[in-house]
Amino acid sequence: MEGILNFLPKNIADLINQIPPEQKEELEEIRIRINRPIEMTLKGAPKFLTYIIQPEDAFHLMNKISHFSIYTLEEELKRGYITVSGGHRIGLAGKVILEEGKVKAIRDISSFNIRIAREKVGIAEPIVPFLFKNSWMHTMIIGPPQTGKTTLLRDIARIISSGNWSKGIEACKVGIVDERSEIAGCVNGVPQLTFGHRLDVLDACPKAEGMMMLIRSMSPDVLIVDEIGRKEDAEAIQEAVHAGIKLIMTTHGTSIEEIRKRPSLKEIIDQDIFQRFIVLSRASGPGTITHILDSSGKELTQKVRVT
Amino acid sequence: MIKLLGAIIIIVATTWTGFEAAKHLSERPRQLRALRSALQSLEAEIMYGHTPLHEASRRLAEQLTNPLSTFFDSFAKKLTDTETTVKEAWETSLKEVWKATALKQGEFEIMKQFGETLGRHDRFSQQKHIMLTLSHLEREEADAIDRQAKYEKMVKSLGFLSGLLLIILLF
Repeated sequence: MEGILNFLPKNIADLINQIPPEQKEELEEIRIRINRPIEMTLKGAPKFLTYIIQPEDAFHLMNKISHFSIYTLEEELKRGYITVSGGHRIGLAGKVILEEGKVKAIRDISSFNIRIAREKVGIAEPIVPFLFKNSWMHTMIIGPPQTGKTTLLRDIARIISSGNWSKGIEACKVGIVDERSEIAGCVNGVPQLTFGHRLDVLDACPKAEGMMMLIRSMSPDVLIVDEIGRKEDAEAIQEAVHAGIKLIMTTHGTSIEEIRKRPSLKEIIDQDIFQRFIVLSRASGPGTITHILDSSGKELTQKVRVT
Repeated sequence: MIKLLGAIIIIVATTWTGFEAAKHLSERPRQLRALRSALQSLEAEIMYGHTPLHEASRRLAEQLTNPLSTFFDSFAKKLTDTETTVKEAWETSLKEVWKATALKQGEFEIMKQFGETLGRHDRFSQQKHIMLTLSHLEREEADAIDRQAKYEKMVKSLGFLSGLLLIILLF
């Protein structure tokens, strides 16, 4: 939270500081739009502050995010979001500039969506027995946006890389391909969030390429990837699985049936690669685990709440 | 005897004034050259190092000599420590250091304009702006060298000779 306030212009940071501390804990998003009031999402519900954002505020915010150097954010402006220290992500919208039909950058940014990264150490503990039998199992975490997929994935990475002596789980070498710097929240390549010792992160690397790079360079036992969804990702998954590496990943969706219908993922689901599916929803707040399924789609347990 | 002593003092004083004025003339092209090479290093930091401005200017401050070193140092400090814009920080740092330099108003305007573009564009437009500023500064430098060649010797002799004239008149 403090990290985020450092990035906001002083007047906005002061306003946000005024909300009660317990509400601050529930803060998920801060949305800043020019000429509109500040919007904050608390546990999924919007809350508006009376202050109307002026164009100068947006200018100052952009200056602070970029450390006064827009040129350092070229890649980020192409993708439309920036990860700042602490793993928080700032999404951007405004006027898009094209070059030869491809997005070159976003200019005149008018909307900022600050997604606050919540580190919840320990939320994956209850599901570890489902994912580990002698070795870790290929796992896919399925959930719509804002259901805590990445938070869960991060904690799984922490458990795998640090091990658990009481449960007889040894620490394994973990490789994370962190395309959007959300899992490990790297700043200058060094992970900022809590993990074990046996962790290597390829920060801001495209997933498909990164998975192959990690396999070749770091020989991980478990590969962790966020938001699989493109054709080349699916290909890289097959490569990795047949290289004897365990995969744990997330994808957008609401159920396994829905995932099966996605053309890019259909193939890998049909090949029965994945041994466990974890389905998340917001039924009782982010991080509600609705189902844990095995490879055939059979239910293993019902409703474990992890937050 | 006293007359002789006074004459010597007059000669020394005027010659010294002449040399000071000449030094100002020879200092300007030297500082302009330093300024240009500083901007070139800044370009390298931006284009190849992707370094944020405050970091880049801190590095420049370490590499350069005074007065440019103080300028970049105060610019970096302003960016990190205060709530400001690049334009403001750049301009106030320029003003602080300008008196200590041999540079003129023309260069000040060029640098001020450059500050307005700094940090607001992608790398390639940033490079274009640096190039533009460099070419402006180059013109100023050519002018400064020209002036140096024309006036440096003259100012020196003028100092000495005007002292001589004063003595002749007084005797």
